[in-house]
Amino acid sequence: MQEFLQHTLNGLSVGSVYALIALGYTMVYGILAMINFAHSEIYMIGAFGAYYAAQLFKIETPSFFNFTIGLMAALLVSGTVGYLVEKFAYKPLRKTDKLNVLITAIGVSILFQFGGQIIFGANPKRFPSLIDDVPVLTLLEIPINLVDMMIYGVTAVSLVALTYMINKTQTGRAMQAVSSRPDMAPLMGINTDRIITVTFVIGSMLAGVASILVATKYPKIDPMMGIKFGTSAFVAAVFGGIGNLPGAVLGGYLLGIGEIYLVGYGASTYREALSFVILIVVLLFKPTGLMGKTMKEKI
Amino acid sequence: MNKKKTLILIIAFVVIGSVVGFFLNSYIETLVITFLITAMAGMGLNFITGVANQFSLGIAGFMALGAYTSAVLSKLVFNDQWYFVPITILAGGLVAAVAGYLVSLPSFRLKGDYLAIVTLGFAEIVRVMLLNWNFVGGPRGYNFIVKWPNFLAAYSITGLFLMITFFVLYHLKISWFGRNLWALNEDEIAAEVMGTPVANSKRLAFMISSLFSGIAGGFYAHHMGYISPGSFGFIMSVQILIIAVLGGLGSLSGSIVAAAVLTALPELLRSLPTGDTDIRMIVFPILLISLMIWKPSGLFGREEIWRVDWSKIKKLVSKKGVSS
Repeated sequence: MQEFLQHTLNGLSVGSVYALIALGYTMVYGILAMINFAHSEIYMIGAFGAYYAAQLFKIETPSFFNFTIGLMAALLVSGTVGYLVEKFAYKPLRKTDKLNVLITAIGVSILFQFGGQIIFGANPKRFPSLIDDVPVLTLLEIPINLVDMMIYGVTAVSLVALTYMINKTQTGRAMQAVSSRPDMAPLMGINTDRIITVTFVIGSMLAGVASILVATKYPKIDPMMGIKFGTSAFVAAVFGGIGNLPGAVLGGYLLGIGEIYLVGYGASTYREALSFVILIVVLLFKPTGLMGKTMKEKI
Repeated sequence: MNKKKTLILIIAFVVIGSVVGFFLNSYIETLVITFLITAMAGMGLNFITGVANQFSLGIAGFMALGAYTSAVLSKLVFNDQWYFVPITILAGGLVAAVAGYLVSLPSFRLKGDYLAIVTLGFAEIVRVMLLNWNFVGGPRGYNFIVKWPNFLAAYSITGLFLMITFFVLYHLKISWFGRNLWALNEDEIAAEVMGTPVANSKRLAFMISSLFSGIAGGFYAHHMGYISPGSFGFIMSVQILIIAVLGGLGSLSGSIVAAAVLTALPELLRSLPTGDTDIRMIVFPILLISLMIWKPSGLFGREEIWRVDWSKIKKLVSKKGVSS
């Protein structure tokens, strides 16, 4: 029972990270109907942003203030990179075939992975400890560490803030408008390009938040780190119904918990395949994902 | 394509083979064989992604199935005799085609990017299964696969298969079946109304593509002599995708040209200081992104090389020459 609870808590922690990254995938898909393959690399670059900021400010001792500096750096870097990718790689292709955008996204993703190897070096780097990972809470004799608490908390706060933003603010409603009728939104006075850029930047910042949380928990970063979490998060987004925000979070949690159970109860070497097996099974029975709406095609 | 052009092609093929085989070193020989194999895989992918407009991201998975099937068969059944290798390669292709059928079952009930996702997942599942399967070496890979005895055998057999691949796919492309695919590509609903069997056409195209990808994978195994699950990752799929895109989606001969360019280019850039990082993985994505932004149709668009209107291109080039 205790082991089960421990696995569940770990699963929730991994699932929260998946959910944060999946939100970025799903937001971009919701508004542009494109899979942003470069999202996992934006996550990677966020971690490197925090790493270099820590070096720049010569951060050596873990403290809450230092963590905040790292977080700000990750947010800034990932947001900026997301903005630039959108501006230089995707915007020129707004009017062309969807296939072209998808291929470009794959290109950007690979360029960042291997360009990162040249710029940052291919060897894994040790992420500085920005905050002490001490147990803060005990649940049925299982200690819960500070970083895990932060992961749960940050995901919950992000989700609430995002839901508020999308439903209550002017920008959020404009996002919904662009998502549902991209051709009509400009007629209502919405600056479509600006809304798309904002969506990209917010999605990228969520990936930045996820990156610093993961880097603090598993303090080893390298240019290929985006593949592992990125792929699973992407599957989580499709699993929950791509384009649907609560779906992405649900998919993230289910996948995270599922993976940790799989690893915890034996078949750890199959972890990478699990997400895709789940995905194909879901697509067989409910093609639009768990919470996706079926869209009738109009002729 | 008429008889004269076919003849020219075959003569060119023999001349290139004998020049490389008799006068150049083994480094060039290896490159030539690599080119033939990537061209084959590129055409296989181009048939589904270019001609049928179904985006597949999992060609490495089909190549892995072909490669492992052929390697295991030639070792266990045919006792490492190289003249049986074409048979085992064909068997590998068939296994890949069957896998293609299975993958197509869920994917063609869906539209849009789902095929890309499912094929990506399929390739990943194949890779993880191979990693966990000790019979084929698991993560250590499968070693001591029978290789071709010399360059001449490798070149002629791989080249022959490349030509067969090209002629089969080209004739399928211009047949009624290819026209069906083209119609689907343009407007699926209209095509369905005109009586085109949508799902079945896509499924058949996907199986044909998987067949040739599997064959290309088999050739890869017997060319390298060693395969491991790591060789058939996502990167491999992307490399083949770049060949199809650079040559022009839908242009089979374009894929051959692109395979030649993309095999030669990294070798020319080898002197660049990139450390341990594979230079191809920097050049290829930049090429891919620039192509998509400035020339999404690739080198030849949908057309085969001999159908391209060269006078237009000459005019364009001379115009640019004048203005600059």
